[in-house]
Amino acid sequence: MAVGVLHRPGRGATAGIDQQRAVKADRRAELTLGALGVGVLALIGLMLVTVLINAWPSFSANGLSWFGSGGEVVTQFRAMQSGTPLPGHSVLYFRAWPLIWGTLITTVPAALIALVVSTLAAIFLIEFAPASVRRVLEPVVRLLAGIPSVVYGLFGILVLVPYVNEHLISNARKASVEHVVQLNGADLFTATLVLTLMILPIMIAISAGALSAVPPAWREGSAALGVNRWRTMWRVSVRTARPAIAAGLVLATARALGEAIMLSMLSGGRPFAANPLDGLTFFFEPVQPLAATIVKEFGGQSGGPVASTIYAIAAVLLFSAALLSLAAWAVKQPLKRYGIGA
Amino acid sequence: MRVHRTLIVSVILALALAVPAGAVAKRLIIGGSTSVLPLAQKLAAAYHKAYPHIAEPQVQGGQSDIGIEGVASGRFQIGDSSRNPLPTDPHGLRFTKIAEDGVCVITNDSNPLPNLSEETVQGIFTGSIRDWSEVPGSTISGPIDLFDRDNASGTQDAFQHIFLGEEKKISPSATAEASNGLEQNAIAADKNAVGFVSFAFTQGVHAVDYNGVACNLPNAKSGQYAGVRNFWMVTKGAPKGEALRFINWVTSGNKTTKSIISSSWITIH
Amino acid sequence: MASVAAGERPTRPPAIVRPRREGTATWPLADRICHALCWAVGVGLCVITIAIVVFMLVKGITYLRPKLFIEHPAPAGPGAQAKSGGFLDPIVGTFIVTAIGIAIAAPAGIGLATWLNEYGRPRWLARTVESAIEMIAGVPSIVLAIFGLVIFSRPFLAFLSQPGATVALSQSFIIAGIMMSLLALPLVFTATRESLTQLPPRLREASYALGKTRATTIRRVLLPSPQMRTGMATGVVLGMGRIIGDTAILTILLGSTLKNEAVGHVPVWGTLRGTGSTLTSYIYNNSPAGEGGAPQKAYAAAFLLLMSVLVLNAAVTRLTGGQGGATRLTRIGRRALLTGVGGNG
Repeated sequence: MAVGVLHRPGRGATAGIDQQRAVKADRRAELTLGALGVGVLALIGLMLVTVLINAWPSFSANGLSWFGSGGEVVTQFRAMQSGTPLPGHSVLYFRAWPLIWGTLITTVPAALIALVVSTLAAIFLIEFAPASVRRVLEPVVRLLAGIPSVVYGLFGILVLVPYVNEHLISNARKASVEHVVQLNGADLFTATLVLTLMILPIMIAISAGALSAVPPAWREGSAALGVNRWRTMWRVSVRTARPAIAAGLVLATARALGEAIMLSMLSGGRPFAANPLDGLTFFFEPVQPLAATIVKEFGGQSGGPVASTIYAIAAVLLFSAALLSLAAWAVKQPLKRYGIGA
Repeated sequence: MRVHRTLIVSVILALALAVPAGAVAKRLIIGGSTSVLPLAQKLAAAYHKAYPHIAEPQVQGGQSDIGIEGVASGRFQIGDSSRNPLPTDPHGLRFTKIAEDGVCVITNDSNPLPNLSEETVQGIFTGSIRDWSEVPGSTISGPIDLFDRDNASGTQDAFQHIFLGEEKKISPSATAEASNGLEQNAIAADKNAVGFVSFAFTQGVHAVDYNGVACNLPNAKSGQYAGVRNFWMVTKGAPKGEALRFINWVTSGNKTTKSIISSSWITIH
Repeated sequence: MASVAAGERPTRPPAIVRPRREGTATWPLADRICHALCWAVGVGLCVITIAIVVFMLVKGITYLRPKLFIEHPAPAGPGAQAKSGGFLDPIVGTFIVTAIGIAIAAPAGIGLATWLNEYGRPRWLARTVESAIEMIAGVPSIVLAIFGLVIFSRPFLAFLSQPGATVALSQSFIIAGIMMSLLALPLVFTATRESLTQLPPRLREASYALGKTRATTIRRVLLPSPQMRTGMATGVVLGMGRIIGDTAILTILLGSTLKNEAVGHVPVWGTLRGTGSTLTSYIYNNSPAGEGGAPQKAYAAAFLLLMSVLVLNAAVTRLTGGQGGATRLTRIGRRALLTGVGGNG
């Protein structure tokens, strides 16, 4: 777009000055706004640098085995807080595997279940729902998306947790793992359930948007060939919208990863690496994902080993978020081929 | 040009406001033990009422170790501690005793244990007794849900020393709660739960007699109840300035502080 | 079928046969199962959501009393929290944090979107800024919170909170508001940018033809136009929804004191520098996960929050043309319609 400053006929000596002033004002506006942009960049850079600098002591003291397993996270935090290191290790000794495992086993199942459910719901919304049902479902999805996570947590902790504790966890089950960990209702099952509910709306919205943007000619052509509505949806629309659904999945995973408050209320009080070999009890064992750990362990420390460990956890979260952003961008590339928005 | 002048003037004004606002009002920040927290909050409110020109001190929790650490690092001017000083504490701190408090073993209201002996308490908390059916006097059955405190807790220290001695340790499978309030909530919500809290946190749960002595204020005052420990206010070196004024007021034994402390705790002045 | 013999004209126009929707009776079993599944999921989702929302609303109404709105939270002894005090302070706190957040995010978001779309030179800078804002959108709010903690604990920034001996306290309304603005920024930015791209080029061309500079065009022609106003308003409302729903930043940067404690004696600035609570941190503290142990108050506050979410959702619906409205939905409008005022953490 060309800069639109035409020669303005002024009177005598002022002619050129008007034009110059206009150009200068334009330059000033551009520079000010551009400075804002640079400011945003500087902020991101500052954030990365600060988190990494504060996280460095924890990473350098533990090396790559920071991500490994070894000992109880609780005892490690206690050692850091009291300043007395565990025998044979430095005070920064930390093995984050139970936390990473906890994040994985809450986020991945939630994302997969949400993928299936949201695709079916989006298909229902776009194709099968009669107008009256659609009028109800759309605001419902909007409402689900808008509920703050602390309200989800409140509902979970006051309704779901006691229910699971009373009815789904038997005394025998509790007794079987009692020497290692205590079971109350706040566990993997409850947390994943509510997490799925939380990330459903994002995926439904994006999938539905993409499904409705499939060129109608394609669907009509398929119908003209005698293919029933479900098959048309599945083979034509969903296949076309696959990149958008994938982008939605990435977005939803990013949200699940960053969810701290609801998970800290519902996933149980202990950073425990739930053991799949325990069979069904695996689902009722407490876990503590990374983001929830930050909320739990934050005690207002301004320095020291606990702070460094917390920043190390934040650095891991930041890195995963960046990876997911990159993945979202990469996944959206095929969309440009069909001009489908997401 | 007009825009620039307004911008410059407003920036100067803002800076002018910020600088004195930053300098004025060194408000006292007190933090630490969650057991001392309710007492400190009441004292702070009464202090401000007695001296309205002094800003009300701000009281936080965090548990005793955080309070001690916070004083050493300068985050708090006064730290609250519900445990005695340890050799591993930072150097140069001054502990001033302000009151005494009791620690009760508590269970859920649907499990009103009449009494617990020393061996039973030790058995339960070390994990050797696992089921309520093995506990004499218990009306319920089922696995025992053990509740502990974080290692930063002074109440945990007190419980360890008074009820378990130096050798036995609380079972590592116990759920660690981060404050008296959270412990109280957790036990009130779980039928099979057992834990320990400070005196002031025994509403909504059942406080169990220990060795035949009821856990209440008169018994603690008379010395019959064994689970009594000290409340301290910690400062870096001798208390100075605002902190000195507050601590002097708290420890002066005047009518207001006496009535506040004796409501749920034991006065010493 | 009416046979049209040569020369004969049909006396009546053929009856309009509305094609009946294809029934599923003829479908293969697998397809019928999937069809049933879709229905089950759709209806089940409605039922579950409505059940949860109605439950929370009913519980909230039961415990909501008018006096809760005007009383300050009282630090009653433990266990007695349920009977004392209201949530005037958390409501005020929510307003303050949202206001600060939007006051920073709205101009910044609109300015950035304008710069990106209208100027956008140098190109590498424009692309980087775009990616940077997308990155901010993806950062978990808890990471933003502890980032803010580090930055604002520098002693020279102590005027924004309270000074300590070695580091500043770094917990205050204004600090929480500043970090909240980072949450709302990407939403305002995207909404404004979408609207800017949708503007017809004739607006700009006409303005330039009249000899106006780019800056004047933006200020006087583009931004005041109705589509832009709607787009910016949508972005601002979405941002507000995100700010209201966030708790993680508040638990770390707002100090979780029951009442809004002001610092110093300067009237408004003192409150901004002080600690306090908002509805979300109040709910968190009063739930069994926090100290308050007053679930009744938590339910009541949750009711208020849900109501505000509903109001904001309704606002977005109206701004973006409503369901099945005749106005063509922009991309942001369509997404906003379905995501409502969704938030993070």
